[in-house]
Amino acid sequence: MTDVDAPTARLSARGLTRHFTTRVPGRIFAAKRVTRAVEDVSLDLVAGRVTAVVGESGSGKSVLARMLARIVTPTSGELYLEGSAIALGGRRTLNYAAQVQLVLQDPFASMNPVHPVRHSLERPLLIHGARKSEVDELARSVLARVALDPPDRFLDRYPHELSGGQLQRVSIARALCVQPSVLLADEPISMLDVSVRLGILNLLKGLADHERLAILYITHDIASARYLADETIVMYAGQVVERSRGTALIDRPAHPYTQLLISSVPDPSSRPGVDASASASRSFVRAEVGCAFAPRCPHATARCRVECPPAFAIGDGHLSRCWLHADQEGVSVDLATPDRQREGEATKT
Amino acid sequence: MKTLQLPRSPKVLLGLGIVGFFIILTVVGPWLAPDNPSSTAYAALLGPSTHHWLGTTSLGQDIFSQLLVGARATMVVALVAGLVATLLSMVIGISAGYLGGVSDDGLSLLSNVFLAIPGLPLLIVIDSYLPVTSRSNEFVIGLIISLTGWAWGARVLRAQTMSLRNRDFVEAARIIGESRSRIMFTEIAPNLLPVLASSLLFTVLYSIGAYVTLAYIGLTSTATWNWGTMLYWAQANNAPLSNEWYWFVPPGICIALVGTGLALLNFGIDEFINPRLRAGGLSARQRRSLGLPRRPRLGLTPVLAPRPRTARRNVVSS
Amino acid sequence: MSASRIDVGNRLDRRGASPSREATPSARDFVLEVSDFSVHYGVDANMVRAVHDVTLNVRRATVLGVAGESGSGKSTLVYALTRLLRPPGVISGGRAILNVSSDDDPARVTPVNLTTASERELRRVRWSHVSIVLQSALSALNPVRRIGREFDEVLRTHRRAMSRRERRRRAEELLALVGLEPDRLNRFPHELSGGQRQRVMIALALALDPELVVMDEPTTALDVVTQREIITELAELRARFGFAMIFITHDLSLLVELADEIVVMYAGTIVERASAGELYAAPRHPYTLGLLESFPPLHGERRELTGIAGSPPDLAVESVGCSFAPRCPFTMDRCRAETPPLAPIGETGRSVACWLHATPSPVPVPAALSRRWTAPVGPTAPGVTSR
Repeated sequence: MTDVDAPTARLSARGLTRHFTTRVPGRIFAAKRVTRAVEDVSLDLVAGRVTAVVGESGSGKSVLARMLARIVTPTSGELYLEGSAIALGGRRTLNYAAQVQLVLQDPFASMNPVHPVRHSLERPLLIHGARKSEVDELARSVLARVALDPPDRFLDRYPHELSGGQLQRVSIARALCVQPSVLLADEPISMLDVSVRLGILNLLKGLADHERLAILYITHDIASARYLADETIVMYAGQVVERSRGTALIDRPAHPYTQLLISSVPDPSSRPGVDASASASRSFVRAEVGCAFAPRCPHATARCRVECPPAFAIGDGHLSRCWLHADQEGVSVDLATPDRQREGEATKT
Repeated sequence: MKTLQLPRSPKVLLGLGIVGFFIILTVVGPWLAPDNPSSTAYAALLGPSTHHWLGTTSLGQDIFSQLLVGARATMVVALVAGLVATLLSMVIGISAGYLGGVSDDGLSLLSNVFLAIPGLPLLIVIDSYLPVTSRSNEFVIGLIISLTGWAWGARVLRAQTMSLRNRDFVEAARIIGESRSRIMFTEIAPNLLPVLASSLLFTVLYSIGAYVTLAYIGLTSTATWNWGTMLYWAQANNAPLSNEWYWFVPPGICIALVGTGLALLNFGIDEFINPRLRAGGLSARQRRSLGLPRRPRLGLTPVLAPRPRTARRNVVSS
Repeated sequence: MSASRIDVGNRLDRRGASPSREATPSARDFVLEVSDFSVHYGVDANMVRAVHDVTLNVRRATVLGVAGESGSGKSTLVYALTRLLRPPGVISGGRAILNVSSDDDPARVTPVNLTTASERELRRVRWSHVSIVLQSALSALNPVRRIGREFDEVLRTHRRAMSRRERRRRAEELLALVGLEPDRLNRFPHELSGGQRQRVMIALALALDPELVVMDEPTTALDVVTQREIITELAELRARFGFAMIFITHDLSLLVELADEIVVMYAGTIVERASAGELYAAPRHPYTLGLLESFPPLHGERRELTGIAGSPPDLAVESVGCSFAPRCPFTMDRCRAETPPLAPIGETGRSVACWLHATPSPVPVPAALSRRWTAPVGPTAPGVTSR
């Protein structure tokens, strides 16, 4: 929670933005429509910490992960790996692959059906400089790290012979083979059976706690974010709408969207202090001007529809991009910048 | 790895049998031939008899020997052309589909050009420029035929590759830093195996047709024996008009048989790719033994009558 | 909600005419009665036992929740019940009886045996008396047809007397019920969002005023916010029209909010059945306990949870003993040798298939599984309680 050990970010993003241009169908002189998939997102992935990004489908969270993995090229923004700037636009390099790994959502689809597990583990080892003679030993040790024991039972299996939970462990093992310092996990549990989800979450937690990996955990399941996160970010329509250290924003949601999200989660036990009827509008519309959430927001005012709110600090490291919090402290800060960075700048000036 | 097992379908078994028979003939045919196919030692135009199973030509050559010896050249050309064309279509199709952009445009243009040019005239033109010595070389002829036969397979493979290109396992390979050529040929290509096999069968079939045609119109060396030159000589000596059926029917039947065998084999590949073709999971025999209607019907899940066998199974498991 | 009235006079009378709940269970009380129902995939050596000896009843106008993971047989069960399971699925035993009330005399109930019914009988019963909502609305709707066509077709087949204009009016009413504007009838499926498509499916399922609606993970592919909206709507619709519902999902906490009674399935069998409140407050089967503990809580202290060790069993391999034994923290010798039957426990009519609760008790029941159930929690979704 605290910054006493002044952690340095393994991977930092500043103002990452990605626009997709699509043609409006049905017109001859095609007007181009710009979809703002991700708008001005900044974050720091710190060793030994889990940063959770929560959002619905279409919130841009997966595009964000792919930009961080350098599979999708950002429209604008900056990336820093271990403090040094990465030239955007270029291809994903081997060196970058050795540092930053991405685990995909669907474990069944992310394994090549024609190759056994051994292939999935030996390829990254060989690519990243392991000797042929030691590959087998290394593959076994990685399988043991993701608690697939005994390794011999899994090495020569084909993907269709394993369950979803086991495959997701293999998928994580494949990422670990290159010994990355940053692990990006894009909805790693959403395709898995309920009973094996916690196993994967605990595995990620262990990697952060014991092996000091910096982990980005992307999810639509806010409860699982609460279980893991050291920092939580909520995205809506490509923008960060609320962020906090720890899980403060889940325990005390400030932004109307976060409140709606939390009140929607099925929870048989009591739900304190949140109004479930807040979901005024059904449609997922993104406003072109003003606050993106305004069309669905029960508290929207005239101002929300014309002016996009900046982020307001509403507590220690807790920021909300909503006009509701404008007068709370009267300070507007740049939500795009993580608090650590801001603190650093504050001491400099 | 899936263990190789013999296909259940009688169609596929028949196809396998036919193609296998001709491949064996390719190897042993010339040794089995009772006579030198070019030797003119016998009387002309003898009908089929115990001495000459398929009679003799107008020059007194043994037709059965010609058929056996000719099988080798025909099949060798077909296999060489089929393999080379499939290899070409694989490299060009997968590269075009995976790389996209300018490479795709260029490679697609190339295959479209080869698709648009009529194959046979092109073949005739190329062939007529060949020195006469290479016209009798099966490998040279096979290579030339493959040049006109790869384009269609490349189109199909390109389309298939494009549908695989954005699959998660390909993205996963990119994430670990795999090189492009390895992604194309160790990650994507094995998944296209059924398509490749099907494409191979059809190019082999095409190559037999093309080679026989070339030989029939006299563009290969008429001194080497294959089924096409047999037809050429039969035609040149007016065999069809003089009812000398034993001269031109046997090579025709052989060509048709190989074609049928290849087509039947392709059914096997279809079933391999699309398991739903296998009669709704239950074989006709199983359905009969269970007293179920012969055809599976959607929207009417069959109900097994209570039988001692089923009952016992339940007792054992509970 | 300004939805126009739907003709449900019949249905309400029907419910009014039925004997009170306290009476002995009879055909009138239950809309669906299933006994010893088994389903296999294939019949030869590769046979997979997908559903095994399932017995359950669905009370009129209540929600039966079916919880289970993939491979537990929950979807197979309902597809087979309606005889919609595709080959190689085969019903290998048991009975399923749908008690259909006649349209003219609501008090008269005709049992239809779904396992022996002819294709014609099934066609008559499906949709008008029992309808299904599938997980993927996109694949259930014909991509080249406008939404209106789907409604028109259903009404034309089953309500011959209706004119074209009446059918259109009815379709608009139905859409209004699920909160969609009438102009959606002219749209193609791909022009609607996932939530809207699922609403269309629900409206279609309700088109003929069925007595039983089967929902197979209708909200799994949707976002939580949309899921919440649809669940709330379903509760309202049920309160109005009084249909019974089988709701299948892997999300146990969703079921606890929505269902009256819950059955938990594991490896093709029912391992526990209880009222929603009881199941949540005092689970009796170790698997149910594990499932409930698999969802990280939204409030309270953050603590490490362990979930359930291991992975679901392979149904193609015939096993001896309790199918959950390999993953169970309380396994005894008996669990590996004998399959526990689904037996009633306690006085509230709940049952569980676990040797821990056998009488006389072999060992002290672990504390986690002997929690007392005190206050009824009850469904919390709005509308349900007003029933």
